[in-house]
Amino acid sequence: MHSNRYTLIFAMAITIVLAFFLSLADSSLKDKYEKNVEVDIRKNILLSLGFSPTDDLPWTNENVESIFQNSIVEFVVDNSGSIVANKFPQDIDPNVDLNLYPIYKRVSNSITEGYSIPISGKGLWGTMFGYFSIEPDGATAKGITFYQHIETPGLGGEVDKPWFQNNFVGKRFVDENGTLIGIQTVKGQVDETSKEAYHLVDGISGATMTSKGLNQYLLKDLKLYDPYFSKIRTKRNG
Amino acid sequence: MALSKKSKTAFTDPLMSNNPISLQVLGICSALAVTTKLDTAVVMSFAVIAVLSVSNTVISILRKMIPAKVRIIVQLSVIASMVILTDMVLKAFFYDISKQLSVFVALIITNCIIMGRAEAFAMQNGPGRSLLDGLGNGLGYGLILIGVAFFRELLGFGTIYNRQVIPESFYQAGYENMGLMVLSPGAFIILGLIVWAQRIIGKVEEE
Repeated sequence: MHSNRYTLIFAMAITIVLAFFLSLADSSLKDKYEKNVEVDIRKNILLSLGFSPTDDLPWTNENVESIFQNSIVEFVVDNSGSIVANKFPQDIDPNVDLNLYPIYKRVSNSITEGYSIPISGKGLWGTMFGYFSIEPDGATAKGITFYQHIETPGLGGEVDKPWFQNNFVGKRFVDENGTLIGIQTVKGQVDETSKEAYHLVDGISGATMTSKGLNQYLLKDLKLYDPYFSKIRTKRNG
Repeated sequence: MALSKKSKTAFTDPLMSNNPISLQVLGICSALAVTTKLDTAVVMSFAVIAVLSVSNTVISILRKMIPAKVRIIVQLSVIASMVILTDMVLKAFFYDISKQLSVFVALIITNCIIMGRAEAFAMQNGPGRSLLDGLGNGLGYGLILIGVAFFRELLGFGTIYNRQVIPESFYQAGYENMGLMVLSPGAFIILGLIVWAQRIIGKVEEE
C-alpha cells in the first residue's frame, strides 16, 4: 500500500508530465489547425455562393485560396448601406466597428453572380455560425451554409446537411411590397400551393429550438444588410 | 522473436472470439454514431486503435507505480490526454473528417473498451503484451465499425467509400436507397445481425 504522501506526489507528477506533453503538442499543431479553420470559412463562403469541389479541382487549401482570389470580391458596407472605401472584411474589429458589415461578392467576367453575408445566432446549445448567399436581385436566397455549431447530431445538427440547405435556394426574403420579412423554417413540410410558400422552408423534426433560433437571427442579420440590398432592389426595378 | 502463446491470444482473441463490440457489447455508442459512412468509421477506428494501444502501454509501464487508491483517475488522465492529442492531430491533418466526427473523438474518453482494457489487462500485464492487447481490441472494434459502416453506406447511400456502386439503371428501375440505414436504428439492426451471425459461427454459449 502506498502512503498518502506518495499518492499525492505521484498525482502531481503525472498531471505535470501529461500537461506538458499536451501543451507541447498544442503549440506545434496550432498553426496548422488555425489555417484549416480559416480555409474552412472560405470554403463555406464559396459553397454558399454555389461553388462546389470537383474531381479535377478538389478543395485543397491551395485551391480554395486561388478560387477565392479569382472569383470573390470582398468589401464592407456601413449601416446606411454605403460601401466603405478601402476597408476589407479582415480590417473589421468586432469590438469597435459595430456598424460595419462584410460582404463577399461572387464575380465572373465582371458580372455579379451573388453576395454572401455572415450569419450567426443562438441555436439550442450555442451560437451557430454560417453564411447566407443572396442572388444579384438582392431579394432571393442563393444558398446557406454553417461552419460551426454545437447542435445535436441528427437533430439540429442537420442544418449542415445539403437536404436542409437546398431548401433555401430560390426562396425570397422580401414580400411583394419590398419589405424585408426573412425566411422562416416551418414545422414539417411547406405547403407549396400556399401563397406564403415563397419565404418558407421545411423544418427539421426534433429541432424546434434550432429552427426558431435560425428564423430569428437570419432576419436580424438580413436587417443589418437591408440598407445595402434595398438599394440594389430599387436600382434593378427602376 | 517468437511470441508466447499468451501474447498471441492477447492480440487475436479480441479480433473474433472475444470481440469488444459484438461479444462484450462495449463501445456501442460510437459504433452507432459514426458508422453512416465508411470514411468516418475508418478514421474513428484508427483514432481508437491509437488511443487504446498507447494508453494500454503507458498504463502498463506505470502499473507498479500507480497508487491503488487513485488508479482509476490516473488511467483516465492518461486516456484523456491521448484522446486530446488524437483530436488535435485530426484537426491539424484531417480537418473535414474531424468536423464530421464532431464530439465522438472526444467521447473516446468514455468508451468502455479503453477503460476496461486499462483496468482489466494493462494493470496486470507487461507493456509488450498490453500493447498487443490494445492493438487487438482496437482492431476488433475497428472491424465491426467498418463492417457496420460498409452495409449502412451501401444500403443507405448506394456508395462505398463515397463512390457510387449501385448503378443508375437500378434507380431508374425503381430501386431506392434505404433511409432507415442512415438513421441510428439501421446501425442497431446491422449490429444485431452481426452479433447473431458471430454467435452462431463461433458457437458462443450464453452463461
